[in-house]
Amino acid sequence: MSQSTYTVSGMVCGHCAGFVTEEIERVAGVTAVAVDVESGVVTVTSDRDLDAEDVRAAVEEAGYELVRA
Amino acid sequence: MSPFDGVSPEQFIADFMTSFTDEIVRGEEDPGPIVDRYYTPDMIQIADGVRIDRDKLIAHIRPVRKNLTHYRLEVHEALASGNRIAARFTLHGQMRKKAVATEVHFFGELAADGRMSRAHQLTRALPTGQGGQGGQPAPGKEEA
Repeated sequence: MSQSTYTVSGMVCGHCAGFVTEEIERVAGVTAVAVDVESGVVTVTSDRDLDAEDVRAAVEEAGYELVRA
Repeated sequence: MSPFDGVSPEQFIADFMTSFTDEIVRGEEDPGPIVDRYYTPDMIQIADGVRIDRDKLIAHIRPVRKNLTHYRLEVHEALASGNRIAARFTLHGQMRKKAVATEVHFFGELAADGRMSRAHQLTRALPTGQGGQGGQPAPGKEEA
């Protein structure tokens, strides 16, 4: 079990949180995603170490930008 | 001079929101100048408790451009007093091929030039059918 935090810019509402969660959940190994819209912090729980580039790609697929991994 | 001179509060908020959204999704213009046409540089918007300043609003434009393909604004009622406006409206849209409808209870304050300087809003999601079309095609967007 591993937990990582990332900072995502551009999120302002529940829809934003939902889109980012939906895409990160598709990354292999991810078991849970928690989003704090106000701070932009996304906490990802996984059953293996994640490649930050996979998370970045998922965030960009949702339309947002990963500013800190 | 009131920013609402000659325009009803309902029409003002409809024109403001629709025009701003049109400019966001229509093209590829740098988001900064778009925001500056509609909001003062020191703007603050509190949406469901989340504080949004100019930088956060600009950062939000990129995902809106990518995800919003249809939208329509329905103004239910609006009141104006001095440079302030209160309105209740529903934003119907299609985001990531899903219909969304959000009822918004909005209070705003305008600068003398008609730009929004402060906004405070509470929203609630309304039920919609999945995959439906929530509004008119955004200008420049192809049908999903």
